[in-house]
Amino acid sequence: MKQKFMSAKKSESNCRHRWVMTNVRNGYLVVEGCFHCRQRTSFFSEEPVPPQDDYREGDHFWSYLGSSQASKFDLKCEECSEEVPLKNVMALMLCMRCDPECGVYKAGSAEKGSKTWVYVALCADTSHAKRRCVTKPGIKALNEYFNRGIQDRQKKIIVVSCDSRKSVDTCEGLVLADVGLTEIY
Amino acid sequence: MKVSELVKQGVFKTFNEPGDKEIKGVYISDMVSDIIGIGPGNLLVTLQTHKNLIAAANLVDVAAIVFTRGKTPTDDVVALANKAGIGLLGFEGDTWTLAKKLYELGVR
Repeated sequence: MKQKFMSAKKSESNCRHRWVMTNVRNGYLVVEGCFHCRQRTSFFSEEPVPPQDDYREGDHFWSYLGSSQASKFDLKCEECSEEVPLKNVMALMLCMRCDPECGVYKAGSAEKGSKTWVYVALCADTSHAKRRCVTKPGIKALNEYFNRGIQDRQKKIIVVSCDSRKSVDTCEGLVLADVGLTEIY
Repeated sequence: MKVSELVKQGVFKTFNEPGDKEIKGVYISDMVSDIIGIGPGNLLVTLQTHKNLIAAANLVDVAAIVFTRGKTPTDDVVALANKAGIGLLGFEGDTWTLAKKLYELGVR
């Protein structure tokens, strides 16, 4: 029985995954900040209007900083049906290469050629106080998904986790979310 | 149809070098969070002209972008599109008129 399980696992890992988006959810990326410790956190809300209440959580006093319309998704392989949940990915952000000391900048510099683009998968724990970020299988699947079918063979998309970012405060990346469309609420 | 062939029809204004990518489909959307779900090779039709849109369009490898209702991108947006090799086209009419026009021109 154990042998059978192992061979099944092996055939799964040999799959040349063809990822498609699945479980697509539309909602809001809500960013909050603690005025006490200056940490930031974010969460995805599927409510019709994003919550803006201040609240206390342990030592933190979370206040609403802003929200933007966003969508969340998971990836599923059409070949082997493996599913990679991306629960912790709040949004993607294009690196604008503002700081050579930043880990995200370095991820792009390791690749030769000007057609390499680095995107950062932003997790909920923006300040990484809990030392958790987007999972490695998630990052791997995102890389495979966004590099499929690119017409220019020299172009490459690199997706990295946001814990490689040097500073959330000075980062000049372009977040792929719809900021400001619903600020009227 | 290739983007260069579409431009030759004389219907569009061009804001940069339109490139020669193959158009595999058309997608109409004004939301960045929606665009990241489309497949590569789409002609993206939109009213939005900001940089985040180019960042999303680059991620999903669009064939080109068409701005409708005479919208004009700013220089920094054009510069980012140039770097990404994304052709930026302009159309004076509304999105529905463009959709009909594209169909007439053979873009499916």
